[in-house]
Amino acid sequence: MIKKLTFLALIAGFGYMLWTGLAKYNAAESLNRISSYYAQDGLEEVGAANLVTAVVVTYRGLDTLGEVSILFLTASILGFFLVSGKGPKIPLQDSSEILKTASKLLEPIILLFGIYVFINGHLTPGGGFQGGAILASALILAYLANPKEGINKSIFRITESISGVVFILIGILGIVLAGGFLDNRIIPVGSIGDLISAGIIPIIYIFVGMKVGAELTSIVTNLKHSPKNNVE
Amino acid sequence: MMALEHITLIIGSSLILLGLWGLITQKNLIKIVISFTLVDAGIHILMISLGYLKNRTAPIVDGTIDNAVEQIVDPIPQAMVLTAIVIGLGITALMLSFVIRLAKDKNSLNVSNFKDLKW
Amino acid sequence: MVTPIYIIAIALGIAFSLGFFSKGSKGIASSLFYLALTALTAIAGQWLIAFLTGDQSTVEVFTSGFKPPFSISLQMGFEEAVLLSMINIAGLLGAVYLFDQFKKYGAHLMITYLLLIMGLDVIVMTRDLFNLFVFLEIASIAMAGMALITNEGKSVQAGFKYLTATAIISAFFLIGIIFAYNFGDSLYINELLMSEGILKAGMVVSFLIIMPLILELKPFPANGWGLDMYQATHPAVGALLSGASVTASAYVLYKLAPLGGEIGYQVIAILGLITFLGSNLAGLKQSHTRRMLGYSSIAQTGLVMIVIGLQPMLGEMTLWIAFSILITNFLAKSGLFWLAGIINKDELKSWGILRKHPILLFLFVMFVIALSGLPPFPAFFGKWELIMALANSGNAWWIGLILLGSLIEAVYLFRWVGYGIKDKSFDFSINCSTYKTIPIYIMGAGLIAFVGYYLNHYFGDVVWYFIPLAFAALMFILDFLPAKLKNIIAIIGMGGYAYYMYDHFLGVDNLRFFFALIFIVGGILTLIPGFTKSGKRLGFYPAALLMFSGLGMLISATDLLQFFIAWEIMTIGSYLLIIRGKNSIKHAFSYMLFSLGGAFTMLAGFAFAQSGNPGIGLEVLSNMNYLPGLAAALIAIGFMTKTASLGLHIWLPGAHAEAESDVSPMVSAILLKAGVFGIILLFIGIGAEAATNHPLTYTLGWLGALTALIGNLGAAFQEDAKRLLAWSSIGQLGYILFAFSIMTHLGWLAGLTYTANHAAFKAILFLGIGGVVFRTKTHNMYEMGGLIKKMPLTFITVLFAIITLAGIPPLSGFAGKWLFYNAVIMKEWYLQGTIVFFAGIIAFLYSFRILYAVFLGHLKDKHRKIKEAPIWYLIPQFLLMGFIMLFSMQPELILRPFGDMISAYFPTDALTWDNGTALTSLGYWNGFRVGVIIFILFGILFGWLFLTSRKVKKIKSFNIVYAGEAPERPETTHMAHNLFAGYNKALGFLVAPGITNIWKWIDESTHDLGDFIRRIYTGNAQTYLVHIVAYTVIVFMLINFSI
Repeated sequence: MIKKLTFLALIAGFGYMLWTGLAKYNAAESLNRISSYYAQDGLEEVGAANLVTAVVVTYRGLDTLGEVSILFLTASILGFFLVSGKGPKIPLQDSSEILKTASKLLEPIILLFGIYVFINGHLTPGGGFQGGAILASALILAYLANPKEGINKSIFRITESISGVVFILIGILGIVLAGGFLDNRIIPVGSIGDLISAGIIPIIYIFVGMKVGAELTSIVTNLKHSPKNNVE
Repeated sequence: MMALEHITLIIGSSLILLGLWGLITQKNLIKIVISFTLVDAGIHILMISLGYLKNRTAPIVDGTIDNAVEQIVDPIPQAMVLTAIVIGLGITALMLSFVIRLAKDKNSLNVSNFKDLKW
Repeated sequence: MVTPIYIIAIALGIAFSLGFFSKGSKGIASSLFYLALTALTAIAGQWLIAFLTGDQSTVEVFTSGFKPPFSISLQMGFEEAVLLSMINIAGLLGAVYLFDQFKKYGAHLMITYLLLIMGLDVIVMTRDLFNLFVFLEIASIAMAGMALITNEGKSVQAGFKYLTATAIISAFFLIGIIFAYNFGDSLYINELLMSEGILKAGMVVSFLIIMPLILELKPFPANGWGLDMYQATHPAVGALLSGASVTASAYVLYKLAPLGGEIGYQVIAILGLITFLGSNLAGLKQSHTRRMLGYSSIAQTGLVMIVIGLQPMLGEMTLWIAFSILITNFLAKSGLFWLAGIINKDELKSWGILRKHPILLFLFVMFVIALSGLPPFPAFFGKWELIMALANSGNAWWIGLILLGSLIEAVYLFRWVGYGIKDKSFDFSINCSTYKTIPIYIMGAGLIAFVGYYLNHYFGDVVWYFIPLAFAALMFILDFLPAKLKNIIAIIGMGGYAYYMYDHFLGVDNLRFFFALIFIVGGILTLIPGFTKSGKRLGFYPAALLMFSGLGMLISATDLLQFFIAWEIMTIGSYLLIIRGKNSIKHAFSYMLFSLGGAFTMLAGFAFAQSGNPGIGLEVLSNMNYLPGLAAALIAIGFMTKTASLGLHIWLPGAHAEAESDVSPMVSAILLKAGVFGIILLFIGIGAEAATNHPLTYTLGWLGALTALIGNLGAAFQEDAKRLLAWSSIGQLGYILFAFSIMTHLGWLAGLTYTANHAAFKAILFLGIGGVVFRTKTHNMYEMGGLIKKMPLTFITVLFAIITLAGIPPLSGFAGKWLFYNAVIMKEWYLQGTIVFFAGIIAFLYSFRILYAVFLGHLKDKHRKIKEAPIWYLIPQFLLMGFIMLFSMQPELILRPFGDMISAYFPTDALTWDNGTALTSLGYWNGFRVGVIIFILFGILFGWLFLTSRKVKKIKSFNIVYAGEAPERPETTHMAHNLFAGYNKALGFLVAPGITNIWKWIDESTHDLGDFIRRIYTGNAQTYLVHIVAYTVIVFMLINFSI
């Protein structure tokens, strides 16, 4: 009881701490210096109608690279961790007929939607991560529908690697051809609102989408992976 | 009448506190991980709320917007949230995999059963 | 120049492409991997070289072609170049060390490792707050992943705790970032640091930025998750945590600390101090090696936090001090963790296995000494600067607490060293693969290189000062030679050093020359018995020369820093010498603790003394401004731990008695005089006039008198011959302290006479008894007896030494006594004088005992075939006896120069000479005349005895019969056993181990406190989360309601 009360006091204290910050908060009336720069000059500089994408892929591209690395890292850790664990092998059950049938119907649509989301990342809400997640959901659905068939991991691994390497190479091209690492202006920016615009952003997002799709799938399948003693 | 941003701020803070409460009281490893995601979600809501500007729209410049500076909300918090969500996802996945491994070791999900290291 | 962005590009590019190789072509994968790490190191190194050699200025690298604050930028300045080099070198060497693991786990582990290093690199470079968050996350996830190399329950638990803890810490950080962006309108650190919006928004914003960074550094007590990582993961991961990860996190804290303003700095410093003290305390009882290293790592981090927090006061010195501590911790901890991996056993005692691998043992000892912040290693210079700065700004309490923490750390570190050097209970062998030892060698070489760099930095203009140290270092290298050859080299080297001293100090500063004679010539004499040893005698010469070079450097030191370095080097050398004894492990440990405790009090005293003075030359001792009384007392305590004055004496009997036969005279006759030398310097600083009624000299006078009494009494009750001599040293040093405390011309003359005499006769006694022990293989006097016939030469020297010791005419001991009583009477210290007089009588008791029990009486049956002591033991004894004879017969020859030296400080009431007769206002004494008369009398009596004794029937030991019964305790049948039982009954309470018990109590209660503290680490992942939340909330509340 005393323990609970102490914990409650702690949480209350934390709440108080947050409150001291939030109490000072006033909803801003206008954009600050940085965001108004993005809103004003960003459009011409980057050429992406979706300003969030412009920020994510170009202005704060290094964050995005880090983000991609985190997924990659997680996938890698799972790769050498759970696979090598010991324990009884869990028998896999066949999935239901409904799931099997529905998945055949849904998979192509989901895949298509995923691809749409990342290709149009610079124009509409969405982008590589969102699209990748949608792709992964299709792949995981396929996996859940036929758990016994397993999954060809090396395709994912190679997709992951290729997209990652391309991302880095594009980044380096930015240093060579334009203003700096991950500069999107290595190809013409184009006109805002076109599918082919925003410089290299759509290309980066395509690879990010593929990479995220592959990574998320391999994370989930690794989590599901039956334990074996096969250390690579 | 409470303004929209205040409501979301309250929701976000409550989620954070709720998650923290779960983190320090729940014994089940899975629940601890869920509590962490609650904290994370709360922070994300907080981020978005703090970037909100009254009566403005999403930072996507399509036909309906003629003067972006006056019409859109701050895109930076949104970009940060996107990154933060993905990072949270990675951490959650890794935590869950640790839980799987721990559960396999001792056939238990109670956090107090894993005290092999101390002092 | 290769832009640092390539660090990211190469690391990530190769990490991504490693995915191609996860099966099959492993060779290519691992070549690529090592290539990437090398490239990272090369890029960092290239910048470092550019900064060091040219006038490269700080570069800011923009990403995506836009300037900050609109895009993320990285900064490459001198600090960044240094830290990146450290991190990448740690990464590369760690990867070499982990060679087998990479082979086992393949590409996945390589990816994790590469991303970890890259993450740490970017943390150092980035100037964007949110980017910092992203890469902090990468580093912590990768670190948690690395925990899984040892894929077992414990390490998985540790990884889970680490992951949850860092996740929640980053969540707090993220809240801080949102606040910072909202109130500061930027994510660019350079702008945020100057943002007024953040200041207006109140403390919580900066708190939520700085607090998570502090938490990343694992502050005590919210750090259980970090400790578990150190303990349970692969040692190489521990090395990365404490080398690379701490380095990066500490720099981030440094980068962002200005956000918190003055209060923020204070909080960081205080939390650092708590961490430093708490972590060291909790580490005290630790028996698991890697966990103990974890406690020590966290403590060192605490120290770095202190430095960061004191930045407003330290100013430009901050980075230098922090770097000194970081680099030492980096090199030493990495090396120690890797060694732990080679030994691969949890128990501290298992480090005894290193006895079989001398190079690794050497590195181990060096790493630990460096870690303890002893000179000449970088951390020492950092600590020195820190403490001097604290004194200059009047923060005496901080000095006290920091030194206390350092002492506690030394306790557990040196206990460990003791096991490493001496413990023989190991029953396993270790496999030193080349790829595992090479990184350790490199770290060791790096540490030595930094020693050179620091010495050059501080003493570039007085390089000659360190020549003796270089000679000692040479002995380390020559240690493979046979002992006899090394002995010759050592004696030649010491001879050269003696010439140097002669050249520099004779006539210039005779006081220093006198002590140089004791230290160096005494050293040569005590080295001579070393010729009896065969084989290599590994480790002896480096240690001995280290000690002697420290002693020599004490003499030529011109400022406090040089003096202190010399003092510590001497301490380290003597510790390594003493621990060589058979049963010395415990005694050497207590010697080291007392020495370090004394050195730290001395350091505090020095710091106070120099405060407010323009420099740190030794002359500041005569011009103390800041807490002068305390400063003098602290310095005196420091010196008195070496002279083993009452209360600080308990280490001496064991340490001196259990040392090897030829080490005992070194440490007893010579080393103790270092303390005397120090006290003289201090007293000179206080000055003759101030000292007439100085409370310090008055107290020390009493202390000296009581030490003499207790020391002599203790000696009288010993059964062990070497312990008897050791206790007698305590007593003799009491006389010396007393004599100098009188602070008059005659008092000092007596003091110097005692000093010279004690050096001579104690060396003879320890050598003589050493020779006996060498032959009889025992220390116990009741197992000896009747050795006069077997070892007549030893008997003669010991007899002379005893006569000198007892202060009986005609030998020089009497000169000391005569001067002494003159001085006491003139000073009117009658009560103290009486105590010393009484102590002198007790000295007769033990003097008699050692002569009687060892040389007279019955010869033991088993000693019938014993031979005279080896010639190498006798030579120095006879040389020293020659000195005593000279002093006795021609006292003017020696006392007159003594008087001249003293007159510089005490011009009045000097001794006057009239044709060989010494005159004071109280009386006169002619050594030569007294000597001649006594020798004639002795000759007559001896002749008479010789003639008459022929008629006496000789009784042999065979004539003693036990009537068929073997006594239960045979020693009780020896007359000399418990010789002074009666006195013991009457006065024994005085030497009852009261003081020992006090120290024992202090020791035990500190250990209990440490044990109590570490109970907070319950091992439950959730408890650690509670700790983190509670730590954050409590610190917040404390700050919030105190401003």
